Amino acid sequence: MKARAQAILRLLAVQAAWTYERMSGIGVAHAAAPLLREHLAAKSRAERHAAIARSAEFFNSHPYLAGVAVGAVVRAERDAVPGATIVRLRTALSGPLGAMGDQLIWTGQVPALMGLALAATPWIGAWAVLAAVVVHNVLRLAITVWGLDLGLREGIGVGAALQRSWLPRRAEDAQRLAAFAVGVAIPIAVAGLLADIPGIPVMPIILIGGIGAVLAIATRTRARVTGLRLGLVLLALALLVVGGSR
Amino acid sequence: MPLSLLRVDDRLVHGQVVIGWGRPLAVRFIVLVDDGVRLSEWEQDLYRMAIPDGIELIVVSTAEAVRRLPEWAADPRPGILLTGDLATMSTLHAAEPALVRRINLGGIHHRADRVERLRYLYLDPSEAALLRTMADSGAEITAQDLPTTPAVALAALL
Repeated sequence: MKARAQAILRLLAVQAAWTYERMSGIGVAHAAAPLLREHLAAKSRAERHAAIARSAEFFNSHPYLAGVAVGAVVRAERDAVPGATIVRLRTALSGPLGAMGDQLIWTGQVPALMGLALAATPWIGAWAVLAAVVVHNVLRLAITVWGLDLGLREGIGVGAALQRSWLPRRAEDAQRLAAFAVGVAIPIAVAGLLADIPGIPVMPIILIGGIGAVLAIATRTRARVTGLRLGLVLLALALLVVGGSR
Repeated sequence: MPLSLLRVDDRLVHGQVVIGWGRPLAVRFIVLVDDGVRLSEWEQDLYRMAIPDGIELIVVSTAEAVRRLPEWAADPRPGILLTGDLATMSTLHAAEPALVRRINLGGIHHRADRVERLRYLYLDPSEAALLRTMADSGAEITAQDLPTTPAVALAALL
């Protein structure tokens, strides 16, 4: 198997060796190893080992975009960029790859696909869930391949290439799509779930929603509780009210 | 308004800083104090990519930060000051102890000569000694990676 294909396969499991000590560092080095062996074939064994050791140091980013860092570091090693600069490149990539990955995937693609699947479930049932899983994984593979190739092409200049790429704009678009999809899905799902329950207590539920909205924008609440936890508590309260009214 | 957060984090600008702390503190500017990043355009470009709209990133050297600390302390906008290592924060504390008093240890990660104190905090002997010196000179030092996790006092770390 070619080194690039090996790296892509290994990037799919980049978090398999995740630890607090090095976070994704081991996974990144494991993915980079075949490429480093190929690209640094003319260098000494000690130089190749030093490059792999640098790749295994502490690293944290979004796992789907880790390929950008792997590719950029391999290219920089091939271009004989000083080791200290390569370490700084890995550190500097960590933040933007994490932030853009979170926007594109966790607050974009995943909720968008979940929302669309939820909205489509009344019509196509479990096929909607299967379609969402397949589309998610196809996109995940495509992003990984794109990121690795971008890094390999650009090396130390990967930051400017990332800025010019589709990624920043599509990350914003993905979040808008997610908001739209979840907005469509919630009334469809609620209508389906509550269709058979007579006499739903509307006012208490509106009150819970109002309290939630106030807490969500209060600075002290935001500092102590994540939106997910607050939402789950409010959802549990609403379900208790609905259950108690039956 | 004094700076809302003075943080030591070797990852510099990343999600925990920008989202984890930035949102609840309604931060409008982040000061990154790092001599290497100050001289490197491509590193600055990368760190700017991790900053959302509406937040200004100011990249300065240690010497520039010492001069501008009073300016940031007087800024009415909430702000965060970040350093990548304890030595830089110690220099700022020594220069302006009243302005650099409450210090947050947000992330100092694994290195061969460091010992784990918390999952996100590894210290070598010289760093531990530096923290004791800063505490002895009036700094209030706690470790806390996110505002939703409990702060750990320095006495419990050393």
